[in-house]
Amino acid sequence: MNFFIRTKKRLSRYLNAFFKKRQSRIGIYGPPNAGKTTLSNRIVRDWTGDALGPVSEIPHETRRARRKEGITISNQNGNRVTIDIVDTPGVTTKIDYQEFIEYGMEKDEAVKRAREATEGVAEAMHWLREDIDGVIYMLDSTLDPFTQVNIMLVGIIESRNLPVIIVANKIDLPDASASAIRKAFPQHPVIPVSGLEGNNMEELYEKMLEHFG
Amino acid sequence: MAHKCTQCGREFQDGSNVILKGCPSCGGKKFLYIQPQDMHKDVLEEKSIKQIAEETKEQFLEIKDDKKRPETARTPKRVEMYDRIESITVINPGSYELNLEKLAESDELVIRMGDDDRYLVDIHSMSNSSKSKKKKYKKR
Ligand SMILES: Nc1nc2c(ncn2[C@@H]2O[C@H](COP(=O)(O)OP(=O)(O)O)[C@@H](O)[C@H]2O)c(=O)[nH]1
Ligand SMILES: [Mg+2]
Repeated sequence: MNFFIRTKKRLSRYLNAFFKKRQSRIGIYGPPNAGKTTLSNRIVRDWTGDALGPVSEIPHETRRARRKEGITISNQNGNRVTIDIVDTPGVTTKIDYQEFIEYGMEKDEAVKRAREATEGVAEAMHWLREDIDGVIYMLDSTLDPFTQVNIMLVGIIESRNLPVIIVANKIDLPDASASAIRKAFPQHPVIPVSGLEGNNMEELYEKMLEHFG
Repeated sequence: MAHKCTQCGREFQDGSNVILKGCPSCGGKKFLYIQPQDMHKDVLEEKSIKQIAEETKEQFLEIKDDKKRPETARTPKRVEMYDRIESITVINPGSYELNLEKLAESDELVIRMGDDDRYLVDIHSMSNSSKSKKKKYKKR
């Protein structure tokens, strides 16, 4: 892209923010199956009553980002923030149709799904450049957080200077460890929740008010 | 968990992102996951890193070689010279490797993987001016 177009885009982004032409867009990022869609659905349902997309144990069920606009989160002190929630496909460095065949899909369907998932990840990564204003980074707290994808992605988000909240999800499970996630990312706030059961969502909403407001 | 460079033995604490660009001391790209109690074992017990790996049976973390330096890549000039082909590597139809850092920095947005595994890219896709919209096929 030529430098002037780039500068112009940047400038209009600041002006838009200044005149509040659009809400902050909060992207929910993280590896597949962390519970991004479950959490997005809960946030949308808690504040608007709708839902955003289907949840599945098959990885890459969300192959295109879904957006819900104009969600207003508030607390009893009268603080409020209006955001757009963007549920993104799970980020990985490798996508193979074989993975879907293991879930009983036909080859054609599996290859198609792999292609779509690849496009979806490429799209979600691209948005980090200038279309996302803040990030909720989701992790399954029963798994080792110190993976190459997690470190790389959090690093990319940091290099964009985006505000980030790390969510340690699935704390309803017995082997969940939010402290392992805290240790892996000491530089960011970590909120333990169960998106499925709705545990500790209040703390997450408070953090969102503070961070994305 | 902490990591130990398998080349020079330097150890890194939890959450240390520095090793993603290779070991800052020796440039090594391969790290051994290491428990706190096993730290400095090579020095204290005069063991090779290979021996420690065999004893602890911990996994290795290998950093993919990436010739691009992120600091310089972020300047506009470097982005224009970007080697776009490497942002997605088609290993075989239905099997892809994604370079997240390149995808996050590239001006192009991949919008469709073709049936023949070429991909259609949409340049400047996020800007609203239709003038800047160009589409082209990227041949693999
Ligand atoms: N136990 C438990 N399971 C969860 C939780 N959140 C999501 N899941 C499950 O994890 C799987 C993946 O969830 P989904 O929201 O599709 O993950 P996504 O790929 O990150 O969007 C599904 O089987 C969910 O029911 C949680 O808080 N606790
Ligand atoms: Mg999903």
